[in-house]
Amino acid sequence: MNNLTLYLLISAVLFSFGLVGVMMRRSLIAILVSIELMLNAASLNFMAFNKFLSPDTSIGQIYTLFIMGIAAAEAAIALSIFLALFRQLRSINIERARELRG
Amino acid sequence: MFTKDPILLACTVTVVLPFLSFLTIICYTRKWERVSCSISIGAILTSLLCAVYLFVATRHFTEPLQYRLPWVISGKTIIPFGFLVDHLSMLMLVIVAVIASLVQIYSLGYMAGDPGFSRYYACQSLFAWAMMTMTVAPSMIQFYIFWELVGLASYLLIGFYYEKWSASQAGKKAFVVTRIGDVGMFIGLVILLLYYGNLSIVDVNSAAVAKQIPVPLITISAILIFCGVIGKSAQFPLLTWLPDAMEGPTPVSALLHSATMVAAGVYMFARLFPFFAGSEQALQFALLIGTITMVLSSTMAMVARDIKQVWAYSTVSQLGYMVMALGAGGYFAGMFHLTTHAGFKALLFLCSGVFIHHYHTNDFFVMSRQGARNLKVPMVCMTIGALALSGVFPFSGFFSKESIMVALAHHPNKIWLAAGLFGEVLTAYYTFRLIFVMLFPKEIEDHGHHEEEHHEGESILYWLMGWPLIILASVTCVLGFFEKQFEHYLFADFILAHGMEHGAEAAQAGGHWLTITAIVLVLIGVAVAWLEYGRKGASQEGFLSRMPAIEKLFANRWYMDHFYRWALDMIIYSGFTNIFTRNDRRVIDGGIDGLCRGTEGSGRIASFLQSNMVQYNIFVMVAILGFVALSFLG
Repeated sequence: MNNLTLYLLISAVLFSFGLVGVMMRRSLIAILVSIELMLNAASLNFMAFNKFLSPDTSIGQIYTLFIMGIAAAEAAIALSIFLALFRQLRSINIERARELRG
Repeated sequence: MFTKDPILLACTVTVVLPFLSFLTIICYTRKWERVSCSISIGAILTSLLCAVYLFVATRHFTEPLQYRLPWVISGKTIIPFGFLVDHLSMLMLVIVAVIASLVQIYSLGYMAGDPGFSRYYACQSLFAWAMMTMTVAPSMIQFYIFWELVGLASYLLIGFYYEKWSASQAGKKAFVVTRIGDVGMFIGLVILLLYYGNLSIVDVNSAAVAKQIPVPLITISAILIFCGVIGKSAQFPLLTWLPDAMEGPTPVSALLHSATMVAAGVYMFARLFPFFAGSEQALQFALLIGTITMVLSSTMAMVARDIKQVWAYSTVSQLGYMVMALGAGGYFAGMFHLTTHAGFKALLFLCSGVFIHHYHTNDFFVMSRQGARNLKVPMVCMTIGALALSGVFPFSGFFSKESIMVALAHHPNKIWLAAGLFGEVLTAYYTFRLIFVMLFPKEIEDHGHHEEEHHEGESILYWLMGWPLIILASVTCVLGFFEKQFEHYLFADFILAHGMEHGAEAAQAGGHWLTITAIVLVLIGVAVAWLEYGRKGASQEGFLSRMPAIEKLFANRWYMDHFYRWALDMIIYSGFTNIFTRNDRRVIDGGIDGLCRGTEGSGRIASFLQSNMVQYNIFVMVAILGFVALSFLG
């Protein structure tokens, strides 16, 4: 087992945690945290590939930087949506958001 | 370049100074009225000096002198900007400069104390700049640009009292109505540019004389260009804007009616005269329009009670005379009448301005009752102007009208001559109707103490207004005797450049019977006016008041405004506007509404997919993706 595989395994585990979190948890905050976990797993993948497969360039690092920026923006928007939802529903349980049900 | 060529320098100074004065007044000196008016008057007087210098310096030139600077270059078409110096343009330049400077000096008195004093002088400078640059334009494009600027300046001046509803309406009307004609003119110019490829005035004229342009092309573009003359010079279908333009200050009316705005149309006709003369039909058309205009507006003047309205209608009819003269081939007659008319019409308007300023009314019956004849200087000057207008010997109008009659007599169709002579009677009648009413009022209200009320300052203002009157009146008295020199001057340029002579020979061949007929007709007109308005115990009611239907027809301007209103309602309001409103309501509004309804409906249909189980949805999605990924790997 070389180093790259190790990194990929770790990132896969992280990603799985995130995925399970998104699917299982009822709290919106927890879901947001899980999404961040998945994004971090992806960043880790990028970094690992950059380091081991193409050390001369820094494309992977740039992608990671972008992912961090996007994650920050997404967190800001998501939190403001949660706030609005909380004002409406007095709760952040995702099961309570059912007004659009057809 | 400038130092070597004094003519170019003088041209540039003449044309540029009023513009600079306009900019300075608008940008910097609006608060200081005295500074503004001295800048403006200084600029126009300098321009006048330069114009006179040019006139004298170029009087022996036989070839037109052109200075051209390429302005827009597009492919093979070059649009130049510059000056065309020949006898016609120099003559017009001097007329414009003289009238503009006299009017500006007169305005010192008339406009004193007006809140928009600086704005007034700025507009006057703009007007002078536009008109003078137009006058010396070497190409029709430059001509057209400044033609429109003249329209803009007159819009600003007619609507000068913009807080008055009727004034702002009149300004708008003048702008829009002249624009209708300008559209025709523009189309004509574009056609000429497309098929001939050159809009230089000299080239177009000489090509038309040398028969290098096909006649049908000349006919079409000449008639379209003549539409511009119809709009600007208030000819028959579009004449209603000019009487309304009386809403502006009276000096503006004087400027507008004598040398600038309305004369621009006739000037263009004269400028392109060899071109127009290339097509018999175009000249016939002009002759017809001129005649209709002349007769119609004379009848309107016979019933007007507003002093400025009478002069306005008379301007329209005199412009009709000029167009008739040019249409009949009398190039010299038309330009000569333009010159003399500029003098005496400015005189008449400036005189009536004094009365209006003094009595604060426009109705000359009221003025006369308040003792208008006690204002000696304007009354005498106005009588001189009226004598010239109706064509009485020895005032300038007599000579120019006679040369018009000679030109008409040379036309094979004598109907035009008959119409022209008939117009002389009408002119004499309506002019002396006004003069006799003013001179011999029925009863005079006691205003004897009026004269003593004048303060020292007011009498200075009175003389500021008086001097331009006296200058113009003396010009009117003597100008007619220079007919021969005048003719020589204009034709020296014209014959050599274009090889056309029939105007010159026409002027000599007129018989004495024509002069005598004309004088007799004028005397008949004056006599009728005397019987009805002048003699002791006259009823001061025209013979037209015994025919109320006709009087009403004349007073309502032959119902032309009503017709336009009706046509506007029919074509614009219930035609186009209706269609456009429907388009707006049905197509545009309906389209947007339909789009919204469609989106909403499809949203409702699609909402069954929303099952309130987000996380199960995600689970299914991940499962399917995983399955797909596995099947690809496998």
